[in-house]
Amino acid sequence: MKWPNIRRILVREVRDQMRDRRTLFMIFVLPLMLYPLLGMSLMQVTQFIREQPTRVLLLGFREPAGFPKLVRGDADGTQHFADELFSKVEEVRLLRLELEATDLPEKEAEAHGKKLVQDGAYEAVLYFPQDFNKQLSAFREQLRKLDADDSPQAKLMQPVVPSPTVFFNTANEKSQLAYRRLRDVLDQWSDAIGQQNLASRNLPATTARPFEFTNDDVAEADQRRGALWAKILPFLLLIWALTGAFYPAIDLCAGEKERGTLETLLSSPAERTEIVWGKLLTVMLFSVVTAVLNILSMGVTGALALAKMNTEGGGDLFGAPPPLAPIWLFIALLPMSALFSALCIALASIARSTKEGQYYLMPLVLVTMPLVILPMAPGVELNLGMSLIPVTGVVLLLKMMLEGQYWEVLRYALPVAAVTGSCCLLAIRWAVDQFNSENVLFRESERGGLGTWFKHLLRDREDTPNVANSVFCGVLILTVYFFMSFGMDPPKDFNGFLRHAIVTQVVVVLTPALLMTVIATRSPRQTLLLRKSHWAAVPAAMLLALALHPTALLLNYLLQTLYPVNPALLQLSATLEGGSPWLLAAVLALTPAVCEELAFRGFILSGFRRLGHTWRAIALTSLFFALSHGSIMQQAISAGLLGLVIGYIAVQSGSIFPGMAFHAVHNGSAVLLTSWVAQYVIPDKHWHWVAEENPPGFIGIGYHPLIIAGGIVVAGAILRWFSRLPHPLSYEEELQEAIRERDQAVA
Amino acid sequence: MIHVRGLAKEYADLKRGKFAALAGISFDAYPGEIYGLLGPNGAGKTTALRIISTVLRPTDGTATVNGFDVLTQPSQVRHQIGFMSANTGVYDRMTAWEMVEFFGQLYGLSDDVLRPRMEDLFTRLKMNDIRDQLGAKMSTGMKQKVSIARALVHDPPVLIFDEATSGLDVLVARALLNAVAELRDQGKCVVFSTHIMREAEKLCNRLAIMYRGHILAEGTLEELRDKHKENDLEELFFRLISDHERSRVEAGDADENAAVALEVIPPSVKP
Repeated sequence: MKWPNIRRILVREVRDQMRDRRTLFMIFVLPLMLYPLLGMSLMQVTQFIREQPTRVLLLGFREPAGFPKLVRGDADGTQHFADELFSKVEEVRLLRLELEATDLPEKEAEAHGKKLVQDGAYEAVLYFPQDFNKQLSAFREQLRKLDADDSPQAKLMQPVVPSPTVFFNTANEKSQLAYRRLRDVLDQWSDAIGQQNLASRNLPATTARPFEFTNDDVAEADQRRGALWAKILPFLLLIWALTGAFYPAIDLCAGEKERGTLETLLSSPAERTEIVWGKLLTVMLFSVVTAVLNILSMGVTGALALAKMNTEGGGDLFGAPPPLAPIWLFIALLPMSALFSALCIALASIARSTKEGQYYLMPLVLVTMPLVILPMAPGVELNLGMSLIPVTGVVLLLKMMLEGQYWEVLRYALPVAAVTGSCCLLAIRWAVDQFNSENVLFRESERGGLGTWFKHLLRDREDTPNVANSVFCGVLILTVYFFMSFGMDPPKDFNGFLRHAIVTQVVVVLTPALLMTVIATRSPRQTLLLRKSHWAAVPAAMLLALALHPTALLLNYLLQTLYPVNPALLQLSATLEGGSPWLLAAVLALTPAVCEELAFRGFILSGFRRLGHTWRAIALTSLFFALSHGSIMQQAISAGLLGLVIGYIAVQSGSIFPGMAFHAVHNGSAVLLTSWVAQYVIPDKHWHWVAEENPPGFIGIGYHPLIIAGGIVVAGAILRWFSRLPHPLSYEEELQEAIRERDQAVA
Repeated sequence: MIHVRGLAKEYADLKRGKFAALAGISFDAYPGEIYGLLGPNGAGKTTALRIISTVLRPTDGTATVNGFDVLTQPSQVRHQIGFMSANTGVYDRMTAWEMVEFFGQLYGLSDDVLRPRMEDLFTRLKMNDIRDQLGAKMSTGMKQKVSIARALVHDPPVLIFDEATSGLDVLVARALLNAVAELRDQGKCVVFSTHIMREAEKLCNRLAIMYRGHILAEGTLEELRDKHKENDLEELFFRLISDHERSRVEAGDADENAAVALEVIPPSVKP
């Protein structure tokens, strides 16, 4: 990869974009105009909503004599709620009041009130039952008598004041507004009556509310503002970074295909990697500029609007964001822009035309949005687990930086940076692969329905599945798994668990893989690696599983410290207690060893090996393997790592059986060896040092570091032996091998 | 200069299934000659030339350009060739000068080599008046000139023209053919694909007649005429295609295209 070529492509693409009026408008003009316009219309609209009066009917209300007034009349005959029931006098007129007397029985009157609201005649109707005034007076009379008569019977005789009913409609915004206003008025009136009652018994008003509390927010004004901005800014920043990346990416990839210049560029000496990097940096630049301009424009507009609102008496809740905010935003923006740009380029290169490219925006937004919104949920905090989730980690980190919690930021900066960096590299790799794929670059539209496609699947199948088959099989397994998890009740007892485990493995994992093997491939033997391996490969794999057993347990423990143990897992281990460990081991070891190996290291790995890059194939297979264990986070991560080892064994031995043996021993030892050590070794006075129970709240045991280290050394030696085994390669892998050798020879 | 051996390319087609766009062709082209690939649309000419220019990868066989392998040394191959086809467009938002300069820089030419060469190319191809014109504002002829300049800017030993005259008016096409002939005279190895008999006849030193991914006949025009006892290239071409289709019909391998092909063969050559 030559940097001068990347720079040339970058400069060309930027110049090209700057000569495109649409891009200029989207990137520079729109943000500068959007927010002032948006702000203006928003202010108009809020004004409109704020001053919108609502119509309220008081049904069956008569002013009770001797009580604080609820309704007062003006000289012109209009009536309104009493001014003293409002904290702000100007709000009095926002409830347009009408009164209607009624002699209807209670049920009918209520139906009448309800209908008036449903028909939209009023936003709310407040119905007073017929004996409301009478009971209100009776209540006060009773209170007076209580002073004289202190007997328990007198207390029991207290009359109940019937509740007035408010009819409103939550489906109507205006009606909700009327309800809120009405509720405040009624609260005030009820309080006023209560105070009058107290006064009539010569009790101070503070009797009902002996104390008021005062509050003192210890947050500085800066911090308060920081907390508020921390919720808004990361969201906006990422959305604009994504949008800003998307449109240039479509123009640079799909647009270039459409205009017929892509082939010109591909036949030039620029390497595909250089082309992708040049385009990537262009898209990234536009993504960053779009986000920065939008935030700036929004900030200036917002600051002006807020300054106006604050001078009108809005307090300093909303103020300028923290002074360091631009720096933090910019630091977070760069990796996010890089990630989004690479994803956009990869997606846009699939599209044949700019129009088709636009269709791909929605799926990208749908995938990204939950990751951006998740950190906004109350109670979500940055911890090691969260920091490992792509995008979410960055949003949380940014949130903390804006809130000024720098010490916490330092703690998690490294994992967030590592995850974000890896995601960026993967996305860039994907984009480069897209540019290396003829099918993507020279894709032509093909007509044909489902029938044609199925015919093509059967007719054109090859000895082993292709990459698309593997992805399809993986997704199929995950989909069936998802629906099965709804369809099947969680196991209640030991036997139920065994049944559940076997059915899940056979139906969810094995069946789709076998069906796909029969439908999509010509050679099930080659696809599922049903071949003899080196005679020592199976015992070596079993020994490897045993050697890695202590490390696997350590990993499980570490994962439990990262992610809180899923209650489902604790419940599961409670269910399993008391069952035969031998039976459990047989089911947990043998069923997945057969089913999962045939599906993942058999079908899916064979398909991914057509990519030509063995490790990438192993990693992708492990990803699907991890996702299929996705219901429990800890299990998914350890399955992913385990998948890498078994994948390697399968490739190096050229056979499925050593992987099966490894898988069986790994799962079996997790059940049998663990319980044996816990039962016999740990209590033993000579051997207790070998292992110890994990601290309370954690499942499992942990081995002595020396044993773990010894296991790793043995495992390393066995893996080295595997690496020297002669093994068959796919055609694509052989080709890549040849290119690598040639490159080395040239170098 | 160019050695192609058993070059094959299969495409997956939803309707037809796997079909061979190239069924293992072999040919050689040398410096100072124009090697013509003559064939109707769908004969596999573009696929073959795209493979040689490393835009596509073959499914089988090899091709070397000036000693470099297209599969394992694509970058070196691209330095050896200037590729121009109906599909290699001109950037809309770049001027003629910028576009040629951009590709010259990608070929690693330093400014002091690039500038005089560009001045020379722009003068020779009479492009000085469109120097600062944006691609979007150019006529087809102008675009074609820019493409030629772009393909020649690094002075490659091999030039590949794929259906380069398609869509051009007579005058522009003639100018282009003259330019190609000139390149041959300069000692370049030129591969020129076309479906126009007249162009092939006039220009090519040696010819391969391609049809359905096969080379049906190869040689100089005289060799072909002698071998097939037919002076008219067009008649010769149709006869070869007709024979090929007939053998497919006999082998039970024909489709609706075979009937169409047999239909267009002039009655005089039908047996």
